[in-house]
Amino acid sequence: MAKITKLYPKSVSERAKKLLPLALVALCLVPPLQKMIDPQAREIQGVDRTADVAAAGNEFLLLPLLGFREAAAGLLWVRCDEFFHSGDYDAILPLVRLITWLDPHADNIFITGAWHLAYNFTDSSERSDRRYLAPSQALLDEGILNNKQIPDILFEKGWQNYDKIKDFLAAEEAFHAAMIGPNGDGTTNLKPDQTTDHPYFSPLKTFHILAHTYAKRARIPDALNQWNVSMKRNDEQTAANPKDGSNKSLRETETRNFEQFLQRYRDRYTPAGHSAINPSKLPNVLNPGVSKDQTPRPWDIAFQPNIEMKRPKVFRISGRFNSADGPRVDVRITDWDYKERVINPQENTFKVDENATILMDALSVRKAKFDRELDMSKDPRMYSFKSDFYKIVLSFNPRNTSPHIQDRFGYSGEGITDKRKEFVYTDNRDHLRGTKMIEGLGGEGQVWNGKDVPWTQYTQPLKMIRVVYKVSLDQINGNKPITDADIVANEQSPP
Amino acid sequence: MIALAIAQQTLREALRRRVMWVILIIGVFLIALGPVFGFLSPKDSQTVLRSLGLAAILLSGLFITIVTCIYLIPVEIERRTIYTVLSKPVQRYEFVLGKFLGGFATVFVNIAAMGIVFLAMIYLQENRIPTEMFKGVLMTFFQMMLLAALTIFFSTFTTPVVNFFLSFGIFLVGNLSSVTESLTTKSNSVVRTAGVVIHYLLPNFGNFNIQNSLIRPTTEIANEGIFLRNNIIYAIIYSSVLLVLAILIFDRREV
Repeated sequence: MAKITKLYPKSVSERAKKLLPLALVALCLVPPLQKMIDPQAREIQGVDRTADVAAAGNEFLLLPLLGFREAAAGLLWVRCDEFFHSGDYDAILPLVRLITWLDPHADNIFITGAWHLAYNFTDSSERSDRRYLAPSQALLDEGILNNKQIPDILFEKGWQNYDKIKDFLAAEEAFHAAMIGPNGDGTTNLKPDQTTDHPYFSPLKTFHILAHTYAKRARIPDALNQWNVSMKRNDEQTAANPKDGSNKSLRETETRNFEQFLQRYRDRYTPAGHSAINPSKLPNVLNPGVSKDQTPRPWDIAFQPNIEMKRPKVFRISGRFNSADGPRVDVRITDWDYKERVINPQENTFKVDENATILMDALSVRKAKFDRELDMSKDPRMYSFKSDFYKIVLSFNPRNTSPHIQDRFGYSGEGITDKRKEFVYTDNRDHLRGTKMIEGLGGEGQVWNGKDVPWTQYTQPLKMIRVVYKVSLDQINGNKPITDADIVANEQSPP
Repeated sequence: MIALAIAQQTLREALRRRVMWVILIIGVFLIALGPVFGFLSPKDSQTVLRSLGLAAILLSGLFITIVTCIYLIPVEIERRTIYTVLSKPVQRYEFVLGKFLGGFATVFVNIAAMGIVFLAMIYLQENRIPTEMFKGVLMTFFQMMLLAALTIFFSTFTTPVVNFFLSFGIFLVGNLSSVTESLTTKSNSVVRTAGVVIHYLLPNFGNFNIQNSLIRPTTEIANEGIFLRNNIIYAIIYSSVLLVLAILIFDRREV
């Protein structure tokens, strides 16, 4: 067969010679241009979680690809609400992931989703599944990365650490970050039509709760200082909007809290104040560790724990705790080698370790006793008991207790002692150290003088009651009793 | 001038097509329905109105662009009207350019019409026209310009059906820019190379999706002006490359 040769006009070849190099040069400009666009496009699209969402089903991808991202997110959020009211919490989780992908700047969805994860995934006794705390924190971190301009998600992270996780350092950091804003100086990059009100500035409650957080860290001068800052800011806002009375009750609470803090300081740490203002009728209950003659006198808790297996995986935890009503003995049952997870928000997973077991609860002390049954047999998906050994920790942390109990033991548990010395544990980690309020009960350096603010010396370590058991699966199944012989030294298994 | 004359004729012809009007009416209807769907975000019904409006403009613009541009050249060949045109002193590149400009003008007219309805709806709801919404419409417009160039490019060597699927498919893949970008950092070299090719060489339509930051006023894009400018330059450069390739292919095509 004859070969066909196509002939084109000369102008075609000439045009090709001119245009093709030009097109190639222009094409070479595209990748660098794309590289310049990428960082800002990433900001708009938020943390990449497309692969995660694609796993949920291809049908979820089409709507957003056609531009209906926020509308689809709105529809799914309505569906979430229905699931929430019907108690189908598990169904909410993938939807929240999907919605935050569709609408990465919907701060309320990050906040509500994280709340679901941390609080609403529970066992049959309404105890939350602590394995979901790490994903909950990761979701908040993702929300913070996507929404640096607004403080609400940071506030939520702080609140979750304050209320649920009891990590007051993390709470303080989050509240502080919310207050200082994206520029680190309390300012924000407001657009002309945006006001300086919430949500562009941290709301007053952040300033308020930060004072409580300092108190939980036993950094009392910082707390007093923060109450002052909070009251001042409140006054400024009220002066700017005299007709707005919405902050009035918050302001009154702050005044009361500030005064109460000073009162407690006098009651707890100055003998004259105590005897004059708050004489207690309970025997031997003076301000922590100090009698009228300034002699340190710690209070013996006489902790006597007892763990009994009623049935396999059903614990009865009882004992004595020598104090007035109100304190709570924390219980934590975990795999012996359980470690708290920290999830990188870019990791894109909500998956929890199905083989991990963790239970946390708190037992109330009434008439110096505590007694409670903890049934872990009904929820095998939550408590799989796949390990050979388990750690049972019974503890009392004076930082988390109510003020009338702190009156006996002090902010840092300075006044705690126990006949069984091995039950008293002093946590010397720096971030747990509080203000030294009293001489002779731990802590180096100067005692706070009750006046100077700020006060930057944090030397008082946290003293707490802590008993750790190491038990086998055999014991958990009730084949062998749990006794004092299973108690291991705190130093061998620190928090 | 010849290209402009062809463009003018193309625009007239496109505006006579019923399917385009149907899509336009559906788009306007969706925009007008925005306030009805306020319940989807009870705390912030404006979010829904804005989101639905911008999405409707994008969706209608997408179909108008594809439906208009895939037929521009094949129809001329099929009806043999191209012989009449090319027998005149009209160069093939002028024909391709004219067809692109005509298609582009059609898309512009439609997006502008929907944009006006959208802004009017916002004005009725809020008694003001937020300036950032113009940016959303502008980005959609340049996104569609790039798509029009892509469709014209394919129409020089494929049938309309193949062109539809190719253009629509590349539009969808190009919208997954966050995924393709993440592929460029994967450890598997094959996946990484594929990611680089797709992300940097295929037209990246995801660049233009700025609706979320416009809808959520709390979101701040650093150097927004530069970002918008880069996107416009990207659309112009990429469209030019596609048009040059379309001209070179069409130059050698038998009609």
